[in-house]
Amino acid sequence: MPLTAQQILVSGKVTDGNLPISGANVLIKNTKTGVVTDFDGRYNITAKPTDTLQISYLGYTTVTIPIQSHTTIHVTLQEDVTALGEVQINAGYYTTTDRERTGSISRITAKEIEGQPVNNPLAAMQGYMSGVNIVQTTGVPGGGYDIQIRGKNFINGGTDPLFIIDGVPFSSQSLGSNSVSAQITGGNISPLNAINPNDIESIEVLKDGDATAIYGSRGANGVVLITTNKGGTGKTQFKANISSGVGQVSHFIDLMNTEQYLETRNEGIINDGYQTLLNDPAYDYIWPDVKSWDQNRYTNWQKELIGGTAHRNNAQLSVLGGNAETRFLISGSYNKETTVFPGDAKYKKMTVFSSLNHRSMNNRFSIDFSSTYSNEKNNLPRSDFTSLAYSLEPNAPALYDQQGNLNWENNSWDNPLASLNEQYEASSNTLFFNSLISFQLLPNLALKSNLGHNNYSLHSYRTLPSSARNPKFGFTPQSYSSLTTNGSERQSWIVEPQLHWSKQWRRTTLDALIGTTFQQETGSQFVQNGKGFPNNNLLLNLTAANNVNVLQDDNSKYNYNAIFGRLNMNYLGRYIINLTGRRDGSSRFGPGKQFGNFGAAGIAWLFSEEAFLNKNSLLSFGKLRGSYGVTGSDNIGNYKFLDTYNVTGLDYNGITVLEPTGIFNPLFGWESNKKLELALELGFFKERLFINTSWYRNRSSDQLIGIPLPATTGFSTLTGNFNATVENSGFEIDFRIIDLLQEKIKWTAAFNIAVPKNKLIKFDGLETSTFSNQYIIGKPLSILKLYNALGVDQETGSYKFEDYNGDGNISSPEDRQWLEDLSPKFYGGLSNTLSYGNFTLNMFLQFKNQKAFNEFVVQATPGLKGNASIKLLDRWQQPGDTNPIKMASGGLSRGRDNGSFLKQSNAAISDASFIRLRNVSLNYYIPTLNTFDINVYLQGQNLLTFTNFGGPDPEQSFYNTLPPLKQITLGIKIDF
Amino acid sequence: MKDILYLAYFLWPSKYLSKFKYYLNQIAFFLLGCWLLGCSDFVEVDSPKNILISETVFNDPATVESALANIYYKLRDQGMVSGNFGLTTLMGIYADELDYYGTNHSYHEFYNHTVANENSILLSWWNHAYHLIYASNDILKGLEASHNIPFEKRESLTGQTLFIRAYIHSHLVSLFGEIPYITSTDYLKNQEISRTAESEVYEHIIADLRNAIDFLKNTENKVGERVIPDQNTAKALLARIYLYTEKWDLASSLATEVIEAYAIEPNLDDVFLKTSQETIWQLKPGVNPKNTQEANQLIIQGIPGQNYALSESLLSNFENGDLRYINWIGTKSNTDNDVTLKYAHKYKLLFHEMESLEYSILFRLAEQYLIRAETMAKLGNFARAQQDLNVIRNRAGLSNTTANSLNEILDAILQERQVELFSEHGHRWFDLKRTGKAPEVLSVLKSNWEHYNLLFPIPEKELSINPNLLPQNNGY
Repeated sequence: MPLTAQQILVSGKVTDGNLPISGANVLIKNTKTGVVTDFDGRYNITAKPTDTLQISYLGYTTVTIPIQSHTTIHVTLQEDVTALGEVQINAGYYTTTDRERTGSISRITAKEIEGQPVNNPLAAMQGYMSGVNIVQTTGVPGGGYDIQIRGKNFINGGTDPLFIIDGVPFSSQSLGSNSVSAQITGGNISPLNAINPNDIESIEVLKDGDATAIYGSRGANGVVLITTNKGGTGKTQFKANISSGVGQVSHFIDLMNTEQYLETRNEGIINDGYQTLLNDPAYDYIWPDVKSWDQNRYTNWQKELIGGTAHRNNAQLSVLGGNAETRFLISGSYNKETTVFPGDAKYKKMTVFSSLNHRSMNNRFSIDFSSTYSNEKNNLPRSDFTSLAYSLEPNAPALYDQQGNLNWENNSWDNPLASLNEQYEASSNTLFFNSLISFQLLPNLALKSNLGHNNYSLHSYRTLPSSARNPKFGFTPQSYSSLTTNGSERQSWIVEPQLHWSKQWRRTTLDALIGTTFQQETGSQFVQNGKGFPNNNLLLNLTAANNVNVLQDDNSKYNYNAIFGRLNMNYLGRYIINLTGRRDGSSRFGPGKQFGNFGAAGIAWLFSEEAFLNKNSLLSFGKLRGSYGVTGSDNIGNYKFLDTYNVTGLDYNGITVLEPTGIFNPLFGWESNKKLELALELGFFKERLFINTSWYRNRSSDQLIGIPLPATTGFSTLTGNFNATVENSGFEIDFRIIDLLQEKIKWTAAFNIAVPKNKLIKFDGLETSTFSNQYIIGKPLSILKLYNALGVDQETGSYKFEDYNGDGNISSPEDRQWLEDLSPKFYGGLSNTLSYGNFTLNMFLQFKNQKAFNEFVVQATPGLKGNASIKLLDRWQQPGDTNPIKMASGGLSRGRDNGSFLKQSNAAISDASFIRLRNVSLNYYIPTLNTFDINVYLQGQNLLTFTNFGGPDPEQSFYNTLPPLKQITLGIKIDF
Repeated sequence: MKDILYLAYFLWPSKYLSKFKYYLNQIAFFLLGCWLLGCSDFVEVDSPKNILISETVFNDPATVESALANIYYKLRDQGMVSGNFGLTTLMGIYADELDYYGTNHSYHEFYNHTVANENSILLSWWNHAYHLIYASNDILKGLEASHNIPFEKRESLTGQTLFIRAYIHSHLVSLFGEIPYITSTDYLKNQEISRTAESEVYEHIIADLRNAIDFLKNTENKVGERVIPDQNTAKALLARIYLYTEKWDLASSLATEVIEAYAIEPNLDDVFLKTSQETIWQLKPGVNPKNTQEANQLIIQGIPGQNYALSESLLSNFENGDLRYINWIGTKSNTDNDVTLKYAHKYKLLFHEMESLEYSILFRLAEQYLIRAETMAKLGNFARAQQDLNVIRNRAGLSNTTANSLNEILDAILQERQVELFSEHGHRWFDLKRTGKAPEVLSVLKSNWEHYNLLFPIPEKELSINPNLLPQNNGY
């Protein structure tokens, strides 16, 4: 552009006082003309000498400087520590700011994520967000996570929220087949593993009606929005990040040693009245542990089977760059993780992520494109060794004989390592595209469209070679070898054209949007089993099998169509009304029931803007907001409304069996969830101290459950909307301190706590329903009905329980009247970041107050075959003893050993509250020459846990799955 | 939706409006239009390959056969007919055939005559039975509405289904007394259905079976594996029903028709093979396991560990020289040889043996001879009665019967039924019940015997959901 007489060239450098800021916007105020600073923070702009420059950068306070004929203007931007009004928060179809939002949205950013050595975005969220309860289901790499946002809403449905990645819904449902992977990952292979946490810029969780109603029928369980990284501007930049870590089981449980074990075993067998048989060598085969095995041998099976060290290696390389119009980012990462089990099992993941953003010179057209490809290979033993590690006899024989073969000890035991001969492998491919195209039709009207496609496929197999079986069962001929394969695939596409309009008047700002969604998801699954292989070398090839059985051959299609809108009015910058609505149509419902309407209203009052508070320097920000909205759930599965027959894999006389699926009820519709929220947000000292307190009450009704029918109808239940209501209410408090002291050491802290309450408030005909022994009106859905344990009878040495109905018998369900609730009473997290010079230290503590099943749920009788907790040693031995554990039994006195009742009693429940140092990371920035930025970091995960819980792990307290590991990772980041 | 559009329309600044009104309308109506036109079709999808719409099932005889295969499959593997927890074992321990050694609480209630109205076996029998009745009614409804099934095929499919419906109801009425006889799939009607008097239930059963015989008139199982019920199966069941309802001449003539269609298997060892010529209808095992579940249930493989053994009162009723005592009964001792038990050994192959030689037999000719013997006696034709009885006795190596008077002959037949049909689908119990001998025989053996034990309670859960089924059977 030629310089006219009125224009001058202004240049300069934008820094944060120390380092250059690249990508800062330099704009001539009140115009659309502007440039972006390059990699060195430099800019050149032509302007009139009388113009004013406005320099802004995300996270920094915007600065305006009149040019006043200067040709060189260097700018120093101050980090805006609070940036309530600056940081754009993704609310899905629109963005908002912390300052102006009317809904409840929690957020974490790359800052929190990058400090954690994790594979799955859900893992990175654990504990950071109030009201979001995430539990890792297994410590095995590639396993899944359970997520609940503000409690369990539906009696029958899952709790998974809607996941949206860059605008495209992503199904989190596992495609694993139970017949292949049940024993190692619980069939739960999280598709979200495909997203590399380091490619994420931010994760927003939408919680209340105001934020979720625009997602209509899919918003009932909340919405998780994942936004990926974008490229930069200026010089092309390379970033490398390499890390390596180790992981171990954090806690072993206290089990008996050989001497203690054999003592209780012998005592138990004698108590059962088998002393004569015990002394007769002819019966040794009944109790090999007591008689034929080495009585002095001791193996710590926890150490042997789950005591290994898992190695985790990670490498990521990214290239990014661009200019004011076009930005790009390509990043590739490789991740490898081994397990703590014996053998060489490993999980490998390769991800390629790319992002391209383009904006036309006149700013009227823009396109944001991103894609992810990921390939995962998970090679694991067929089953988890954890329960064996807790239950194998301490004097069980050696794993290998002297020749190095599996030792079956004369067929007297099942060698656990036999399963290493079995193979389990899952490989999944995820391909994910999406783009947002935007065209500014008029200065205040834009046409936008989301376009997305994703493809997820999972192929897994499991082999059971004859060599993995105990020869005692006679299955060792190779013709008994078997192979099970699962091939499954899911594809979906989405198109969402939208019109966005906004208009500012002197006092009022109005934003409106209207859009429509077309979405389709198709899936297929094919599970086969082959038996009878001529030879174990052919075991991976189904064609070699004698007998091939198709266990499952399914496909499905789900179509979804909606129209949605939003109207937001902001008056005087302090009164805000936000109206959202959606009309949804889903193929999961029958004719006439396919469409449903959802909507919400949110209001906010920024009272700190009012004249009466404006001068108050202590309280710098105050907002009162509230919302009410209706969302829904179509989480029922496909085709339930059709009158159909299922094609089974069974046959009679060579004819395939077709069975009627159920009673035809085309008349069921959405489950609905009405959400109410009130919140108060307060900022002090220029928001350096920020408190958000919210109260919510969500009521879910029209529950889609099986309505009980008398059997004379042919079925016991009918799919339909049931007149039952579940209420989730609670308080959430978020507390944030940012560099309050403004000393050399910068300290920021964030604290969150949620106090949830779940209650079944209505359930018509509960007593006659199939749920009558499970739920009670007025109590949480998570209650357990248990026996009330009353200690040990001093005379008989048996456990005593309360006989609620007084019939002299302890029986289920009448005498299971003791209630326990294992869902957390409160939970939250505390994060602290300290930075001094080039050091940054981050510590994150997670806490939860809850109860869980203790070791008695596994075994409550001393003397049974198989190792158990040392607590069982404190047992009754003779009349008059007051020990808390019953007399030993070898498991041979049928009906007299009532230990199994204790397993289902309140004695098997104990406090499992914990405070856990979930994450600690130390980062050191190495000052070097200009061209390199080098950071070295040390991260620890789950390093310390404070708890009274005696079981394996208070967070994930199952005795048959590997608990979360503690990990230490060392890494280096180089940017150049 | 409309409101928002109007709102946007009115809020639109007029200066742009004039210029872009046309385009705006275009866009807005494109959005609205594509949604309105697209939506209703878009959210309707085709059914997947693992599901068939009912209508499609009844458009093709092959898929209707598949729907029927479901019933045979479930009869074999689930519910009261199956070997797993069916009438054979449970009515065996309820009556005086089998002793129970297992630990299952519900089984103990049967064995000790302390059956509670919450007994899980009863509930599962009830549920399975009505589930299969639903499946039958759905097939009958589908066949009626369908136009694509060739006439002959339709007749045979309808006949089989009517037979099944009658067969299952006949078990229910014997066990529970007054029960609903269900002939439709309408759940609104069936969820509040009342009980039907026993005599009326039998009228329905007889009507269904008469129709079934008519529809099945062109079917004969004489060749092949006899794994699908044919006209003779329906006749055999109807003969049994007429016997139970004391219509002697009708029972006799139907039994005769069946006896004339088949021949008795001369060798005891061949009676329970899949190739037995006296089999009228049997259920074929799957690909794996290949033999009967009854064998696995009844054969004692080791002591301890046994579930059932033949009772002393059954064993003592075998006459000296009865070959069935040798051919159809097995013996097992423990390692110390101080415990010896006898078990039913009619089926000899455990179910996962590699070779498939035995199927589960539901109807066989011997029963028809014994039915005819009994009806002949009742009708006063003692000679014919003795003749039929002797067919069975002679095959077992026994001499002709010496019974002469009506009562003697009836007693001889009851005893013959006991030793011929033991451990087959609870025949013994139903015989004791219908002949009125149950109190006399069982009160000695079962200390908890009560007269109301002749019927089982309707499952409590069912009564609480559908109070129209009240009152509960006496005594429970």
